[in-house]
Amino acid sequence: MSHDDYVLKLDNVTMRFGGLTAVNGLSFSIKPREIVGLIGPNGAGKTTVFNCVTQFYDTYEGTISFKVDDAITNLKDRKVTEVIDLGIARTFQNIELVPDLSILDNIMIGAHNTFKTGIVQHIFRTPKARAEEKAVREKAIEALKFMHIDHLKDQFAGGQPYGVQKKIEIARTLMSDPKLIILDEPAAGLNDSETDELETLIYRIRDEYDASVLLIEHDMGFVMEICDRVCAINFGQFLAMDTPKNIQNHPDVQEAYLGKED
Amino acid sequence: MTDSNFKEKSVALWNRFAKTVKTHPHAQFFIFGLVMVMLGYFSSVGVFPSFYLSVFAYIIIYTLVALGLNLLLGFSGLISLASSSFIGVGALGTGVFLNLGLPFELAAALAIVSAAGIGALIGLLSSKISGIYLAISTLFIAEILRQIFTSVDIFGGERLDIGTVKLLGFIELSRNSRAERFYLYAIMAIVLALMMMVVYNIIKSRSGRAFMGISRSENSAAAMGISPLKYRVMAFTVATFFAAVAGVLYALYFQDAPTRQWGLLQSLTIIAIVVVGGFKSIYGMFFGAVIIHGMSELFLKDWLGNVSSVFSGILLIVVILFYPQGIAHVWIDLKKLYYKLKTRKKKDVINDES
Repeated sequence: MSHDDYVLKLDNVTMRFGGLTAVNGLSFSIKPREIVGLIGPNGAGKTTVFNCVTQFYDTYEGTISFKVDDAITNLKDRKVTEVIDLGIARTFQNIELVPDLSILDNIMIGAHNTFKTGIVQHIFRTPKARAEEKAVREKAIEALKFMHIDHLKDQFAGGQPYGVQKKIEIARTLMSDPKLIILDEPAAGLNDSETDELETLIYRIRDEYDASVLLIEHDMGFVMEICDRVCAINFGQFLAMDTPKNIQNHPDVQEAYLGKED
Repeated sequence: MTDSNFKEKSVALWNRFAKTVKTHPHAQFFIFGLVMVMLGYFSSVGVFPSFYLSVFAYIIIYTLVALGLNLLLGFSGLISLASSSFIGVGALGTGVFLNLGLPFELAAALAIVSAAGIGALIGLLSSKISGIYLAISTLFIAEILRQIFTSVDIFGGERLDIGTVKLLGFIELSRNSRAERFYLYAIMAIVLALMMMVVYNIIKSRSGRAFMGISRSENSAAAMGISPLKYRVMAFTVATFFAAVAGVLYALYFQDAPTRQWGLLQSLTIIAIVVVGGFKSIYGMFFGAVIIHGMSELFLKDWLGNVSSVFSGILLIVVILFYPQGIAHVWIDLKKLYYKLKTRKKKDVINDES
């Protein structure tokens, strides 16, 4: 693998909110089919990084490039609603589902950008609109089977247990054929067996969907187990990026988490 | 029987019910339209007093507007206090274009398009303002439209006489003939059934899911490529389209449009219909219109006289306080109650045995 083969590359990214610098000159890159963890204490700027990548914040400095099949896109040129067309799908720290839609319909929202028909065709239920709806529905059921929650598909998303809601969000990202999946605290609130299951699922997503994964997580056991490389940041500053083992022994990372020895 | 078991069972039953309904929803709307036509027929042959027909016609108009407003309030999380004004645009617009000598169909289409155009503009406005400010802005738009209706000469001052309408260029129908009035009503009932299908098709499609996406979690909607602005504009356009169609039906049936009544009071009535009927429900809009408009026109006015208008206000408060999901939810709650009683009986049997 050549040195500059990447899916996502952040180059000197800085994000300021008024006087507060949430992310300060951050650079790192993710290789194809790599699982990368972004760690740091609370308030380190992890979610800000995610929001910059997905263009929820578009006033950052520096460049974030996304590369698929040798086509490089500067993400800043894309609007927040266009990022998914490139193949970047994300989940949210606070689960963002439509509570009063069925799980299946929630998953189908994930394929919104793949539809070609508009509201007029939907009103008249043209053959094309029906065929498209059917195809997406089948794909959504596939995604649900993949996450082992297809038996719940007709239930409302709102009343589901936390673990199931997390799975719905991940299943939703699979609908857009993503090349990069961004997971914001996927294991938060899950019990041990659910976390183990999630680990297997993330490996399977990488292998079967041929996608890279970037995740934020506070469950260090999970991060160290699953990630190929881990990027540690603190107060928006880059600390280190390395294999999980080396990160654990990195003095700066230890200091950020445990404090300095007097 | 455990609580979770009961839950599972009720969910399974609900799924089965939903499946049966889902397989033929369009047929249900068709049957609904037929029933409405029948009701009108009964009234025109004298089973009901003849003034019932106009009340039914008004219920259809209210149901239509409420269906559109429901797409805003229930699905897209947007509010409009201008629904009534767009009935006015539909009714008066049709009248004005008819008086210019255009055929009815063209006049109706022009009125609907101009209303939907204004609706789209409000949609654009809604990207900058939301919540209570959006409500206030639409209130001002309603007031502007009302001023235009009452002070611009082509709308005829107090009221605009439309007269008999010629459909397709040769079917002339007048509201003064009892039989023809029934035909006019039948057209309205058919349009309502068709529009219910339209709403159903929208909410069961990608567009409907997108409406719910932008209102329930705007961030994740944006991350999935749903442009909130686009769908807000779309929601307002569709809602005003429905109101304008209702206005065209008003012009068709009443053949005479007042200019003063399209204001806040009627818009609030329509909001009351949506709330009482139940957000996100299609049939709920009809039952809401029956309860808010039909009940007070048909019965309460005889019993209570002028006090009857208090009824809808009190009902609205009662529903919001004690039954926020609306009348449409009664059916679900009744089923739940039925299963509760059934399981309780079984529990008693078990207790007796032990």
